[in-house]
Amino acid sequence: MSDHDRKYLVHPERPPKMRYCSKCVSPMSSAAPITFDDDGICSTCKVADQRDEVDWDARMKKFKRLCERYRSKDGMNYDCVIPVSGGKDSYFQVHIMKNVLGLNPLLVTYHGNNYLPTGMENLKNMREVFGCDHIFFTPSIEVLKTMNRLGMLMMGDMNWHAHCGINTYPIRVAVETNTPLMIWGEHGFMDIGGMHSYNDFVEFTYRNRHEHDLRGFEWYDFVEAAPKFGEKLEAKDMIGFMHPSDEDMDRVGVRGIHLNNYVRWDANEHGPMMVEMYGFKESEEEFERTYRRMSNLDDMHENGIHDYLKYIKFGYGRATDHTCKDIRAGLMTREQAIEEVRIRDHVKSKDLWRWLEYVGWTEEYFDEVCDRYRDPRVWWKGENGEWVKDNLWDKE
Amino acid sequence: MQYRRLIPVLFIMNGLIVRSEDFSTHQIIGNIINEAARYNQWNVDELIYVDISRDKTYDSRRDDHKIKAVDSIETIITEISKVCFMPLTFGGGIKTIEDVDLRIRTGADKVVINSAAYHTPELITEVARKYGSQCCVISADYRMVDGTPILFTDFGSNNTGINVVDWVKECQKNGAGEIFLHAIDRDGKACGYDFDTISDVTSATSLPVIACGGAADVDDFIDVYEETNVAAVAAGNMFHFTERAYPRAKKDLVREKIHVRP
Repeated sequence: MSDHDRKYLVHPERPPKMRYCSKCVSPMSSAAPITFDDDGICSTCKVADQRDEVDWDARMKKFKRLCERYRSKDGMNYDCVIPVSGGKDSYFQVHIMKNVLGLNPLLVTYHGNNYLPTGMENLKNMREVFGCDHIFFTPSIEVLKTMNRLGMLMMGDMNWHAHCGINTYPIRVAVETNTPLMIWGEHGFMDIGGMHSYNDFVEFTYRNRHEHDLRGFEWYDFVEAAPKFGEKLEAKDMIGFMHPSDEDMDRVGVRGIHLNNYVRWDANEHGPMMVEMYGFKESEEEFERTYRRMSNLDDMHENGIHDYLKYIKFGYGRATDHTCKDIRAGLMTREQAIEEVRIRDHVKSKDLWRWLEYVGWTEEYFDEVCDRYRDPRVWWKGENGEWVKDNLWDKE
Repeated sequence: MQYRRLIPVLFIMNGLIVRSEDFSTHQIIGNIINEAARYNQWNVDELIYVDISRDKTYDSRRDDHKIKAVDSIETIITEISKVCFMPLTFGGGIKTIEDVDLRIRTGADKVVINSAAYHTPELITEVARKYGSQCCVISADYRMVDGTPILFTDFGSNNTGINVVDWVKECQKNGAGEIFLHAIDRDGKACGYDFDTISDVTSATSLPVIACGGAADVDDFIDVYEETNVAAVAAGNMFHFTERAYPRAKKDLVREKIHVRP
């Protein structure tokens, strides 16, 4: 919605009172497609609980059989493609495929030019500790800067290029190298959103990528929009963002597995395990918007202003997401979570300065663009024109 | 011989496509129009949409997507018709002939009537008279109660005490053109189709029967085509789960010599 057709709601015409999950702290306005049951518990909590009912030994057996079908018969090709960012989940995926199952994976990294130093160290370290072939792909920096600006203007997200790059470039590699099996980590909206049951064995699909990861936009939307915003972008700049055709996908038989359907996924366990086994490093510096130091080190804005934009749009941020996970894992009480959310979710983080410098914007312009994307289900204007929303800690 | 059909069923709740389990758990899969566009690329035989919203609110969800959420049944059908070029059947919330008119006018080829067929059976006759029997699909939702398939209406909450086989005969008498037979117990359970009830129903009526409920993979389709005389097999959730699920299923069915449109 553009700012022209957005009607600001003026107090007392406020949206309905925000509902929060009674078990974790997810708001109804979640960016993920969550639903609430009659007891006020969100779909994410319910699906997370299913993990205890799954027979994980039987799943591993099933998975081994599946992998054997894709193992290169003569050793003249890779057995699978693993998209990796160098994060703890990437380490875990390669650990399972290479060192537990003995397959020969090809690692593929989309490099969006936002790596934190520790994230880059972790990525480079993968080459040393796993001994796999590894492709690094970086689009032209000028193109990346343009896509950062356009992403903000088109949908209030500078990191669309990363969502698209991560979910496209490795698939192109699978097609180009004739390697049908792709190993993804968790299904994003199953993990935060509870979109699927563990009995669905949901796999990577173009539709889910297009609609949810990419919000219905593709490279051609950027090329088409560029002139309207005074930017220059051509098809030839966007090759890495072009999803292979159905015909190519069928010819190779590309199939993307989500490993969380076959191996019990618990990031709180995997993180320390990867530190110990392979020298994975947590961030030395603390983040402002989350207390976790082992997530999203591949992109300084993911824990920063990209996440701040989620707060602007939907009224919550990564502290909410991370505390929800930790409540579900039994590591945190709901009261502790509320405190974390209270001090972190609203923070405008300092990586904004790098981004403004990177793309040549002023903070005023950034704020103005942000305000266009405030969700009317969350925000309204107070009597003095300030932005107001309900909060998790409000008394009933 | 007519082709036997394979039909994706899409459940709509408050303006979004949902995954359904046991008629009670619903998980949001996504935007209706995005789904429709993908099924169009998959060249499906026909599409059935059933609006299972309990109330008439439309979830606007986030508005930073390219395709915005839809906010009325008219918009839903009109927008689907723009991106979908296969026969379109639309059900849910149909109580009167005006409800049927609206759906046909905005682009549906057939309508599915469920609870209203039970509460006001004369509606079936009225629809058949106005649009022809072929336009009138009756959805018969049933649960197994002490070994008997019993018709349940109103989102599976109302036990009518009627054997679904008798109910289907009754609907045929009233002018129905097709039966959408839906096993509530198997919804979202991926436990295979209910061959016994499906066979009982197909022997009791000359109407085409569409069987739904229980599909986990293509083997379940093969089994139900081979074990019963269904005209069509439908599945709700499973086409959401894997890449090119529909064309791949079709390919497997052709390989198994099931008489489907390739």
